[in-house]
Order: sequence, then structure tokens, then C-alpha cells
Amino acid sequence: MIVCVAVVGHQNNPLYIQSFTEADDALKLHHIVHCSLDVVDERVNNPKKSGPMLNETFLGLLYPTDNYKVYGYLTNTKVKFILVTTDLDVRDADVRNFFRKFHTAYVDAVSNPFHVPGKKITSRIFAERVSTIVKSFGLNSAG
Amino acid sequence: MAREVSEICMDSVLAEMVASYCNRFYANKPDLAARRIEAIGYQVGHQLSERYTMERPRFSDHLEAIKFICKDFWSEIFKKQIDNLKTNHRGTFVLQDNKFRWLARMSVDPSADNGSNEDSSATVAESKAAQAMSMHLYFPCGIIRGALSNLGIPCAVSADMSNLPACSFVVRIKA
Repeated sequence: MIVCVAVVGHQNNPLYIQSFTEADDALKLHHIVHCSLDVVDERVNNPKKSGPMLNETFLGLLYPTDNYKVYGYLTNTKVKFILVTTDLDVRDADVRNFFRKFHTAYVDAVSNPFHVPGKKITSRIFAERVSTIVKSFGLNSAG
Repeated sequence: MAREVSEICMDSVLAEMVASYCNRFYANKPDLAARRIEAIGYQVGHQLSERYTMERPRFSDHLEAIKFICKDFWSEIFKKQIDNLKTNHRGTFVLQDNKFRWLARMSVDPSADNGSNEDSSATVAESKAAQAMSMHLYFPCGIIRGALSNLGIPCAVSADMSNLPACSFVVRIKA
């Protein structure tokens, strides 16, 4: 199950962050997202580790914790997407698929002429699309 | 479900936008009008680059980003690639389009010049035409600048149209 997704701008400014848990652990999840930003920077500045997947937008598993797995994605425009999930056996293909759909939703949201670049994404439609994508992620990995 | 728009509509919208800014909103301030039009282009380029770079790996250097502008980005907007790319390898790039689509069907209105000044010599008319034309190039300049800025390359873009309908855009990357 996905517990948190975040969009972070190129100056590490939060553009959108949403958790999907009932429990009151938003702060903890935000903290995890925050920590992952350093890992993203590290991955991008030391590309040797990534080897053949040089400069791919999908950054893969950033770091595993006891309860969560954190995945990252960096667009050409230096916007970072972070995904925090509690599933411990996630298929890479599912995560890639998730990020692809998420990216499409993001692009549609920022292409709104009333959206101010670099400001938080407040679109309700975007929020709805994201929660649909998040829900479908659970179904995919189960089936 | 790609929605399509007739090309002539685009042409008309662009022409009308330039006309509105030059003759109505900022009639006596061509500099200000130019800056406003460029700013609109900037936003358009900013958003388009977000969309058109979706399915590709990140660029490793400036040249790659410029090549993307010349090939894929230009194809998406103008259905053709840039014809010639020159660079001095120190941050200046010249992108030449031999038949720039947005100028290809443009002509100068002869009645506009004749009425106001009677001694309208050929040179005056020509410079006026050139000025009117250059107004239409601020928008594509803004698009290029917006796209490159969004890709993390701050730059200044100017246009040169010494031999129409060929048109070249000069990109100077800020260090």
C-alpha cells in the first residue's frame, strides 16, 4: 500500500505532499520524504552507481527502512517525485508504471494556465487523479 | 484522445495577440509590448517542455538540451526540425529555420504605411515592416527561453530575420 507521495520542486521546495494513512503519522512520512531528497541528490551527482541506467528518470529504490520502501523519480525539469510504500515485495515494473501515470497527471496539472510555476499544486482534479492512481497501485501488485 | 486545432487558428491567434499588445495595450511602448509577448511565450515554453520531455532520459549537458529543442521540440510545434545549428562551443547557439512557419504566410499591410506619412520612402516602409515582423518573433523567442530555463539552462534568446522567410534564433547561455 502506498502511504505517501510527494512532488518536490527543483529547489527542494515542496509542491505537493499527500499521505494516505488513517493513522496520525503525516509528520513521520514527511520526514521520510525529506530524508530521501539527499539520496536523490547523491544518485544524480554520482551517476557511476546507476551504471547502464544513466540519466534515467526513474531512480529506483532510494532507501529501505524497517517499515517502508522509498522510491524516487526525477524529471528532466528537475522535479522530484517520491513514493513511500509499506509493501515489502514491490515489483519495479509496478513502480515505473505508477510514476509514469503520476508524471502524466503532474504535467496536466502544471499545464493549467492558472498554475503558477514553482508554487504548490492546489488543483483538486490533480488530487483526485493522484488518489485514483494510488488506489490502482494496490490492485495491480495484488493481482 | 489528441484534440487538434486547425493551424490557421493558431496563426490568427498569434497575429492577433501581437496586434493587441502592440496597437492597443501598449500602443506607444513597443519595448513593453515586446516584453509582455516574450513573457507569454516563456510560460508556454515552460509548460510545453514539461510535457515533451516526459518520456526521455535526463539531459547530461547543454548541447543535448539544445539538440532536443532543435529536433523533437521543434517537430512538435512546427512539424519540422531546425535546419541548421551552429555553436561557438562557449555558450552561444544559432538555430536556423529556413522556412519559419509562423512567418511563412505573413505579408505587410500596404495601407498601414501610406496613410500616415506621405513621404514614405521605400526604406522607411521597409524598416517599419521589419519592426512589425520582429514583434512576431518575441513569442517564439520566449518559447525557447522558457523551455530551456525549465530544463535548468538560464539563457537569453534573440531572433534574427535578415533573409526571410529564413529565421535564426540566437541562444546565449548565461554562465
